[in-house]
Amino acid sequence: MSNHPDDYIKAELMACCGAREIKDGDIVIVGTGFPAMSANIARYTHAPGAMLMQESGVFDARPTRPALSVGDPCLNPGAAMTGGLVDVIGMFLQGGWVDVGFLAGSQIDKYGNINTTVIGKYENPKSRLPGSGGANPIGSLAKRGLIIALHNIRTLTEKVDFITTPGYLEGPGARERWGLPPDTGPQVIITNKAVMRFDKQTKEAYLESYHPGTTVAEVVKLTPWKLKVSDDVFETEPPREEEIRVMREVIDPHRMIQIYEKRGYV
Amino acid sequence: MGKVMTTADAIQKFVVSGDFLFIGGYICRPPFAAIHEIIRQKKRDLTITRSNAADDFDMLIGAGCVKRFIATFISLGLYGLARCYRRSIEKGIPHKIEVEEYTNLSLPLMLMAGALGMPFVPVKDMVGTDLMNIKSFMGENKYKMIESPFDGSPVMLVPALRPDVAIIHVQQADEDGNAQMWGIGGDCKWGANAAKKVIVSCERIVSRETVGKDPSRTIVPSFKVVAVTEEPFGAHPGYTPGFYDVDLSYGYLYKEASNTVEGFQAFLDEWVFGPKDRNEYIQHYIQKFGYAQYKGLQAKFDYGYPVSYAY
Repeated sequence: MSNHPDDYIKAELMACCGAREIKDGDIVIVGTGFPAMSANIARYTHAPGAMLMQESGVFDARPTRPALSVGDPCLNPGAAMTGGLVDVIGMFLQGGWVDVGFLAGSQIDKYGNINTTVIGKYENPKSRLPGSGGANPIGSLAKRGLIIALHNIRTLTEKVDFITTPGYLEGPGARERWGLPPDTGPQVIITNKAVMRFDKQTKEAYLESYHPGTTVAEVVKLTPWKLKVSDDVFETEPPREEEIRVMREVIDPHRMIQIYEKRGYV
Repeated sequence: MGKVMTTADAIQKFVVSGDFLFIGGYICRPPFAAIHEIIRQKKRDLTITRSNAADDFDMLIGAGCVKRFIATFISLGLYGLARCYRRSIEKGIPHKIEVEEYTNLSLPLMLMAGALGMPFVPVKDMVGTDLMNIKSFMGENKYKMIESPFDGSPVMLVPALRPDVAIIHVQQADEDGNAQMWGIGGDCKWGANAAKKVIVSCERIVSRETVGKDPSRTIVPSFKVVAVTEEPFGAHPGYTPGFYDVDLSYGYLYKEASNTVEGFQAFLDEWVFGPKDRNEYIQHYIQKFGYAQYKGLQAKFDYGYPVSYAY
C-alpha cells in the first residue's frame, strides 16, 4: 500500500486523477498544464508505454522544461517526429489512432458538451472566447475524452451557451446519429471537488468520487444539474507518494502547477 | 528578375488591400517582420487565415487591416484572451470583423485540398455541434452534409481554400525561393502550397547547393515563390527552432499594452510605426531591454548526425 503525503495541492490531486485514467500503451494527445502533467505521471508510474503527441505536429517529445504551449520550442529537440496538424490531427486522430484526449472549457454540461466559443449570444457576445482549435476534433474523435473543469455553477451548467466540442450532445445515440466514430466520447469530468463519470446508458455524468475535504452534499450543491450519486461513491484517493515524487522531482521541479491555485483550482 | 528583396518591397508588390492571406506560424515561426510591414503600409480589408492564431493576428485586427478571418482559435496563449479580437467582436473597435469558424482538423484539410487542387474535402469533426449553426461570409458554402455515396453514412464536406498570397517564415531559403523548414509545422506547408503565390521570409538565405544537401526539408518549391526576404529574428516574439526562443516577457508587454485601445496604439507607435524596418526594430529591442536579454533568446547549437543522400 502506498503512502499518501498530505502536503499536496488540489491541482496535483487532479493531475493524478487524470493520470489514473491512462492505460499502459495508450496514445494520448496532450496540451499544456494538467494534460501534460497527467500523461507524464502515468508514463513514469503505471503506464511506461503511454505515448504522447501534441496537435501542432509533435510525437514523443522529450522536453527538458514544462511546455507552456502545444507549439513550445522545448517540444522540438528530442522528439521522435515533428510534422504538422495534418499529421497529428489528420493522420493520427482522424485516422483513429488516438486513445485519450484532454479537454477543458468555460462551460460544460452534464453530457460533457463543452463551450470555448462565446459566453452569451453568438451574434452579440458578453465574452468572446478563443474558439475550437483542436478541441472539437479531439472531442469528436479521441476514444476517451478527459474533461478538466472548475467545480462551480458557472462552469458546470445545465445547458452550454454554445456547443464547441461534442460530448454526448443531446444524450444516448446522438453521436452515432451524426456519424461520429463508435465507442468514442468523454469518460470523466475531473474537477477541483470531484470525479464525475459518464453513465454508459444515460450518458449523464454522475458522482463517482469526492475529493478529501469536501462531501457528497457539497458536490451536489455545486453542480447545477440534478447530479446522480453512485451507490459506491467514495473519497478520491489522494496522490500517492510515488506520484508526488514524479511530479516534483522529474516532471515539474519548479512546481509550475501552482499557477492553477491562482486560477481557482483549490 | 531576382526574387530577393526587402520585406517592404515584397508587401508593396505582392499584397493588395482586399487580398486573402494565409499567414504561417504556430507560435513557431510567425512571420512578424512581414506582419509589421502590412500594418505600416496600411493594407485594408484583408481576409486572413491560419489554424491557432495568436498575437500576430490580434495585432492585424487591432490595427484595422482585417475584414474577414477564417478561424479555428485565437488567444495570447499563456496570457489569455486576445484583446484586440475581443474588442472587435464585442465592441466593434476599430470595426467588427467577420469570422468564419472551423477547427484544427477542418481548416488544415481545407488548405490541403486547395494545395492538391481538390474542390472540397470530407472531415469527421464539427458534426452535431453549434459550429454547424453559425455561418458568416461563406454562407451555405461553409460546409455541406451529404450521405456517403459508398455506404450512406452522414459525411460533412468543407470547401478547398486558395489564398491569394501565403506569407511564411522559415529557417532558410535559396535565392529562387526553395524554402526549408524544420520543427513544428502547424499548417504551414499546406497553407503555403494552397496559395497562388508565396512570400518566403527566412532567417538566412543559403546557396542552392546548401538546399541540395538536405532536400527533404524543402516545404515550398521555388516556382510557387514570388519573393524571398532575409529577416534574421524575423519571427520574434515567436520562435524559430535552432535560432531563438519564445520571448515571454515581450508577450507580457503586448498583453498589458493591448488591454486598452490607447496602450495598443502606443505599442504600434513604438514597435511597428517607429522602426522603419526589422533592423531598427532589433536595435530598439536591444536599446530598451539590453543586449543580454536579446542574446539570452538566441539558441545554443546542438547539431545532429549529418545526413547523407549519397548513393
